Amino acid sequence: MAPRPMSMTVSTGGQRGGFAALVTTLPGLIISRFLILFGFLAFWEFASDRLVSKFWVSSPTRIFHLLVTWIGDGSLWPHLEATLTAMGLGYVIGCAVGVSLGLALGFLPMFRQVIMPYVSGLYALPKIALAPLLVIVLGIDIGSKVALVAVTTVFLLFYSTLDGIRDVDRDLVQTLRLMGASRSEVIRKVLIPATLPWIFTGMRVAVRYSFTAAVVGELIAANKGVGYLIEANAGLYDATGVFAGVFVIVILSVAMTEVLTRVEGKKAPNH
Amino acid sequence: MTAMSTVSATPKIDFSGVSKTFHVRGQEVQALQPVDLQVRKEEFVALVGPSGCGKSTLLNLVAGLLEPTSGSVTYDGKPVSGLNFRVGYMTQKDTLLPWRTVNDNIGVSLELSCRSTPRAELKERVAQMVDLVGLRGFENHFPTELSGGMRKRVALARTLIYRPETLLMDEPFGALDAQLKLIMQDQLQKITQHQKMTVLFVTHDLAEAIAVADRVVVFSARPGRIRAVRDVPLDRPRDIFKVRFAESFSRLHEDLWDELKDEVVKGTDV
Ligand SMILES: Nc1ncnc2c1ncn2[C@@H]1O[C@H](COP(=O)(O)OP(=O)(O)OP(=O)(O)O)[C@@H](O)[C@H]1O
Ligand SMILES: [Mg+2]
Repeated sequence: MAPRPMSMTVSTGGQRGGFAALVTTLPGLIISRFLILFGFLAFWEFASDRLVSKFWVSSPTRIFHLLVTWIGDGSLWPHLEATLTAMGLGYVIGCAVGVSLGLALGFLPMFRQVIMPYVSGLYALPKIALAPLLVIVLGIDIGSKVALVAVTTVFLLFYSTLDGIRDVDRDLVQTLRLMGASRSEVIRKVLIPATLPWIFTGMRVAVRYSFTAAVVGELIAANKGVGYLIEANAGLYDATGVFAGVFVIVILSVAMTEVLTRVEGKKAPNH
Repeated sequence: MTAMSTVSATPKIDFSGVSKTFHVRGQEVQALQPVDLQVRKEEFVALVGPSGCGKSTLLNLVAGLLEPTSGSVTYDGKPVSGLNFRVGYMTQKDTLLPWRTVNDNIGVSLELSCRSTPRAELKERVAQMVDLVGLRGFENHFPTELSGGMRKRVALARTLIYRPETLLMDEPFGALDAQLKLIMQDQLQKITQHQKMTVLFVTHDLAEAIAVADRVVVFSARPGRIRAVRDVPLDRPRDIFKVRFAESFSRLHEDLWDELKDEVVKGTDV
């Protein structure tokens, strides 16, 4: 496949002492990053109950202990599972429906002209506003979260697919038509391959959105999930629980971003 | 000539009073003044003329990608309406499929259901074409990994592989070096003779036009009209590599250059 672009390290020509020299080496970089984190946590620990009441800000050690307890007694897993399931299911459904709709409207311009105002109207609506309605219709269980994630994802995939089809070089289509390709052959051999990079881009972007949608859905109304965990602890005015929940979300986001960056690095587009 | 006209009176391609005017953002651009030109079956006609004089437009009309503003274009005696599937068109811009390798680009027409080809035959014909255009070793490269001239050769192979009865070629060898150009001209002559193809061939290179064609048509600067038509008095098969040194070649070259040079000057100062 196409060569992968190399990431470049720009070296600053002249000799620089101290900090600049430290961060140009990999261990140095890691140490400096760690120092920032450590400094922040140390300050937090110090400030807790000295500068601000621990009722509001808890403290890193307390949060750490709570996390260890959650993991130790296994009470975290059902929540984690609920969030990831809602996100995963909603994402898959949303991608499938979004891509299908995008392809269908892309291939049927007449249909697109008729239906587009409705689609744009729905797109303009902040999807979160649908959450209460989804809870009423689908209940407080995971179903309403799956639906919220799916609705969010559908539009992202729909628009990237449609944009992809509209961006296809008309000359390529004409070339194949002149060779005698049928309509369905033009779709299979030109439109779909040309649109795939757009679909992949949409799918990558949608991962982050569907995670957010799942958590927000749980914050609004749920009986399980990491979002629910935060919301429930907030209801009890338990800052430690809230921070621990937020920490779990941070870890998940970082992990997801890492995975996505890896995938993006591998997927060098070949045109 | 008299024998010819009794055998087949209908020309393969017949432009009669064909003109074309484009409307671009409220402005009218006349690309072609009325053109009359007949291309006989199995004839090889080269079109030369300054940039923008409407050569590509003329090919687009034959392919059915455009409709004339006035006059008519007929193919085998029937007016061209809609796409003309009898022609193979190698356009000026190469339109390779970026996600397909050289091999897969060349073979694409044989995958279509209208001429579905057994896998083994497809592979063999693709390999022949790869050899013909000298791209062995690059079969599995993607278009972005090729030079401009290599891409042109892929486009050529892709057009020749399905053996259309008429070839429309728009500056097919423009991006090649002088050596390779001769080799490709030679191959083209062999194939078109062997398969009795009719060819409409656009080029900027007058010597190339004379070397490959039976007839050379010189166009005026935009809006294009036919300024001169000359038969090429060279027998076939020609030795493409030596034909340039023939006396009749240089006489025709000089003659056509006299026609062309005024137009090129006009064409450039518009
Ligand atoms: N699709 C189009 N829309 C508008 N104007 C066009 C279009 N195609 C061609 N023209 C105009 O028609 C004229 C002739 O164009 P054409 O491409 O036929 O020239 P050409 O002889 O092939 O030139 P070149 O040798 O540079 O390829 C040009 O002035 C161009 O601006
Ligand atoms: Mg042109």
